[in-house]
Amino acid sequence: MWMSKTWLVQAFFIFITTESIGKLLDPCGHISPESPVIQLGSNFTAVCVLKEKCMDNFHVNANYIVWKINHFTVPKEQYAILNRTASSVTFTNITALSVQLTCNILTFGQIEQNVYGITVISGLPPEKPKNLNCIVYEGKKMMCQWDPGRETYLETNFTLKSEWATEKFADCQTKRATPTTCIVDYSPVYFVNIEVWVEAENALGKVSSNHINFDPVDKVKPSPPRNLSVSNSEELSSILKLSWINPNIKSVIRLKYNIQYRIKDDSTWNQIPPEDTSTTRSSFTVQDLQPFTEYVFRMRCMKEDGKGFWSDWSEEASGITYEDRPSKAPSFWYKIDPSHTNGYRSVQLIWKTLSPFETNGRILDYEVTLTRWKSRLQNYTVNDTKLTVNLTNDRYIATLTARNLVGKSDPSVLTIPACDFQATRPVMDLKAFPKDNKLWVEWTAPNESVRKYILEWCVLSDKLPCILDWQQEDGTTHRTYLRGNLVESKCYLITVTPVYADGPGRPESIKAYLKQAPPSQGPMVRTKKVGKNEAVLEWDQLPVDVQNGFIRNYTIFYKTIIGNETAVNVDSSHTEYTLSSLTSDTLYMVRMVAYTDEGGKDGPEFTFTTPKFAQGEIEAIVVPVCLAILFTTLLGVLFCFNKRDLIKKHIWPNVPDPSKSHIAQWSPPTPPRHNFNSKDQMYSDSNFTDVSVVEIEPNDKKPLPDDLKSLDLFRKEKSGTEGHSSGIGGSSCMSSSRPSISSGDENESAQNTSSTVQYSTVVHSGYRHQVPSVQVFSRSESTQPLLDSEERPEDLQLIDNVDSGDNILPRQQYFKQNCSQQETSPDISQFERISGSFCSGCFWSRC
Amino acid sequence: MDLRAGDSWGMLACLCTVLWHLPAVPALNRTGDPGPGPSIQKTYDLTRYLEHQLRSLAGTYLNYLGPPFNEPDFNPPRLGAETLPRATVNLEVWRSLNDKLRLTQNYEAYSHLLCYLRGLNRQAATAELRRSLAHFCTSLQGLLGSIAGVMAALGHPLPQPLPGTEPAWAPGPAHSDFLQKMDDFWLLKELQTWLWRSAKDFNRLKKKVQPPAAAVTLHLEAHGF
Repeated sequence: MWMSKTWLVQAFFIFITTESIGKLLDPCGHISPESPVIQLGSNFTAVCVLKEKCMDNFHVNANYIVWKINHFTVPKEQYAILNRTASSVTFTNITALSVQLTCNILTFGQIEQNVYGITVISGLPPEKPKNLNCIVYEGKKMMCQWDPGRETYLETNFTLKSEWATEKFADCQTKRATPTTCIVDYSPVYFVNIEVWVEAENALGKVSSNHINFDPVDKVKPSPPRNLSVSNSEELSSILKLSWINPNIKSVIRLKYNIQYRIKDDSTWNQIPPEDTSTTRSSFTVQDLQPFTEYVFRMRCMKEDGKGFWSDWSEEASGITYEDRPSKAPSFWYKIDPSHTNGYRSVQLIWKTLSPFETNGRILDYEVTLTRWKSRLQNYTVNDTKLTVNLTNDRYIATLTARNLVGKSDPSVLTIPACDFQATRPVMDLKAFPKDNKLWVEWTAPNESVRKYILEWCVLSDKLPCILDWQQEDGTTHRTYLRGNLVESKCYLITVTPVYADGPGRPESIKAYLKQAPPSQGPMVRTKKVGKNEAVLEWDQLPVDVQNGFIRNYTIFYKTIIGNETAVNVDSSHTEYTLSSLTSDTLYMVRMVAYTDEGGKDGPEFTFTTPKFAQGEIEAIVVPVCLAILFTTLLGVLFCFNKRDLIKKHIWPNVPDPSKSHIAQWSPPTPPRHNFNSKDQMYSDSNFTDVSVVEIEPNDKKPLPDDLKSLDLFRKEKSGTEGHSSGIGGSSCMSSSRPSISSGDENESAQNTSSTVQYSTVVHSGYRHQVPSVQVFSRSESTQPLLDSEERPEDLQLIDNVDSGDNILPRQQYFKQNCSQQETSPDISQFERISGSFCSGCFWSRC
Repeated sequence: MDLRAGDSWGMLACLCTVLWHLPAVPALNRTGDPGPGPSIQKTYDLTRYLEHQLRSLAGTYLNYLGPPFNEPDFNPPRLGAETLPRATVNLEVWRSLNDKLRLTQNYEAYSHLLCYLRGLNRQAATAELRRSLAHFCTSLQGLLGSIAGVMAALGHPLPQPLPGTEPAWAPGPAHSDFLQKMDDFWLLKELQTWLWRSAKDFNRLKKKVQPPAAAVTLHLEAHGF
C-alpha cells in the first residue's frame, strides 16, 4: 500500500519537475535515499544532489536548495551544504508516520522550482511474538496463535515455522485478516515432537518468538463423544445409564470425561465427580436420581493426562428414570356442609395432588376409606381430588392413598369428629406478615402434639364470595408461607386449624396483605350537623375492596375559600369528627384522606356553609321582640279603653237621636210583640249600647265589589242631594267591608241634641239591573224633624233588612201586610239569624 | 563464606540458604534429564498410532486395488516382493536380539518401507487416498526420526544406508498390473507386520529401560561451597 503511495507521490513530483523544465523524465536532481523507512523517534538525513546541467541552466548551486516537508519549508539550521551540488537536511526524533520531503531550488526572481520529492515512512520494528500456542483439532490441521506485541505501523509479516529434529515443514504464512493465527498445511503427526516458532518481519527488522517443542498429541482437542443415549432401569428408579461413541482419537489416546446432568426444567448443571470418569469408557451409570424425572445429559472428553483441550460438549440427551411409589401422603382435609338432613351430613373430602417429585410416577387414582366406629370399611377409588360423602353424625376415620404404577403412597389419616364435637385447643399467637414477596404465617403450637396444621385462606371482598384455598403443614411446623397465587393489595383472611389425633382443633383467623397499597378510593366525608362555629363530620368505613391495606388513620383537610388548609389526624376507628372553631356564615371545603401503610388517597371534596346564627338564636331575638310588641299593643288598648270617653269626644260628632224624633203615624199598627220595645222602655234604658247598626247581609251570596260601588254612589248621591243626611255608610262596628247601611245614632246625642234630627232614607233600588220585587218604603226626604209618634225605628230597621235577599221576599210581603203574624211565622229564625250577625247592642238580639 | 569448626551459626545459615533456594533448583525438575524412557514410550505409542492409521489406510487402498486384494481371506504367495524387508523372524532369534540390533533392524526396515511407500503414493489415484498416504508417509518419517532419537539417547550410532539396498521402485515394464498390485498388497502387509513387531520391540525396550521411580538425583549448584 505504502509502496504504491510512494510511487504515486514520486510520479507526481516527476511530472511537476518535467513540466517546469520542459523535459520529459529528466529531473534536475535527486534525493538519496530514494524511499526510506525509518524507525519512529530516530534521526534521518536526506541528501539532494543537483545535476550540473540544471545548475548551469538555472544558474544555481547547492546553496540555492530549499527543503520542504509536507509543503512547509524546513529551517535553514537543519541544512548542510556538502559541496557545490549537494545539500543535506537532518531531522531528529521523527514522530510522524508518513511525511513528504521535497528538494527545491530558488531560481531567478525567488521562484521556487521543485527538483525531487520522496515519502519518508516511519514505524517500529516488530516485537518478539509472545504466548505462542498451538491446538490440534481432532481430524483437522494444527492451528497456532500468538500475541504479536506492539503496533509497528508498518506491514509486518508473521511466519509460523515448524520442524522435526530430522525434517523441516513448510512455513505457514498468516493471512492479512488474521495476522495472529495460522493453520499449518499438514496433519500433525502424533507422538513425534515438533518444534514451532513464529517469525515477525517488517521493513525495520525481523524477530523470532521463543521456540516451543511439543508432541501434537498433547495439544489435541478431541471431537466430542457422539450418539449419547440414556436408558433407565426398571429395577432401580434412581439410576440412568449413559452410553456413547467415543471420538476416533480414542484408538490413539486414552480419554477422560466430564458428564453433566440436570433436571429437564432446571437450568443448572450438576457434574458427576471427575474422578469417576477419569478413564476411557463408553458408558456410565448415573445414580442417586429422582424417580420418574426427566434428566438431560451432556458430556465432553479430553486426553486422560489432562494435556490438551477439552472437547466441545456433546449433544444433549435426555432420559426418564423409572417410576417409584409415591414418596409422600397427599395433603388431606374436609369440609362439612352445614345443612343437616335426616341425621346425615354432607362431607366433602378434599386433597391436593402431589408435586411431581413426590408422585414418583403418574398417579393412577386415589383410594379413600371411611371407617365408622365398629362398622366395616367403605372404600372409594377416585380420580378427582375430592369426594363428597353423606355421613351420619358419628365420628369417622378417613384415609387417603395415592396410587401409581409401582405402588401406593403412605396413607393420610383424617378424623372427622362427631356432630357434637366441640373444637378446642387453637394455635396461639397467630401472626401473618409479608416477606420476600411471600405471605408468611407464624404461630405458637398448642401444648398437645399436633398431627398436622391446615391453613385456609381467601380474599376478603364485599363483592365476591370467600373462595377458600388451603394447604397442609406438618405437625412440627410453626411457620410457613402461603403457597398460592396471592395478589397484592388484597385482604386475605387466613385461618389456621391444628389437627389432633381426635379431630381438628379450634381454628384461628387473621387478616393480612401480601403487599399493601394506598386505598383506591378516599372516604366520602359529609356533615352530620353544622353549627355556627362547629361542624360534625361523618363518613363511612371504606369497603374492603378499595382499602388495599389496613387503614391506619384518616386526615381531614378543611379550608375556607381564601384560607389555608388545616389538617386534622383522626384515628381509623372513628367514623365521626367534630370540627370546632369555625367561622360563622362561611363556606368550608373539607376532604378526607385515608392512609394505609403504603400511602393515602383522598376522597371527594365536600362543601358546607356555617349558618349566620346558631340554632335558637333567632328565636331568642324574635320571641322577646314579639312579646314586647304585644305588650305595647295591650297597653295601648287598655289606655284607649280607659280613656274611651275622651277619645270618643274627640272623634265622633254629636248626632241627634232619631228615636227621639216624631212623625205622623204612617206605619201599620205595631204588633204586640213590639210593645215591650216601646219608646218608653227605650228611653228609660239609657244603658243600651251606644251604637246600633243594622247590617244587611245577603243570605246566600256576598255582594260583589260592584255592589259596594253602587252603594257608594248611592251614598254620594244622597250626600250630594242632602247635605244634612248622615249616618248612612258610617262605620260598621263589625266590619267595614260589609255592605251595610247603618243608622248610627247614639242615645246620648239623641238625648242631648233633640234639635238635630237625621233623616234616614232607605232606598234600595234593584241591585244592579235587578228590579227589586220588594216594596220599598220611602221616607220623606223632608228635613222636617219627624214626630216621635210617627217614628217607629223598629219598623224602619226591619224594612232596612228587607232587601237582604230574594228568598226573604214572601216574608217581606207578609211582614208588610201583616206584621202581627210575624210571631207565628216559622221563618222567624231568619230574622234572628240576621240579627245574630249584628254587633253587640243590637235591639233585635232581644227579639 | 568462611567455614570454621564450631561455627554452628554459620552452618545453620548455610543450610537455611540452601533450603531456601531448593525449590528454585532446576535439576529438581524430573523432566530436566528424562533419559531415553519417554522417547521409547513415545515411539511405542507412535507405532500403535501408525498401526491404527494403517488399518484404515490399508482398507481404503485394498478397496482401491479391488478384488481379490480386498477380500479378507486373500493370502497370495510372496512373489516379486523379495526386496521388502521381512518382519517375521524366529521368536528365539528375536528374543536374542540386543537393543542396538533391534533398533537398527527397525530403522533399516522403515527406511526401506518408506521409500516403497512413497512410490505407492505417486500411483494412488484419488486425492483422498493420496492425502492419507502422504500423512502416513509423514508419520512413518516421524517414526524413523523417533527411532533415531531413541538410538541416539541410548548411544547407538545410526546405521549407514548401504548403497546396494537403495530401493528402486520404478514401475517398469517388467511388472504386470496384477503383479504391481501384488507388490502393493505385500508392502501394506509387511508394513503391518513390522508395526506389530515394532510395538513388541519398543514395549520390551520400554520395560527394560524404564528408570526406577525414586531415582531422582540432586544436582545442587552450591555456589560458595
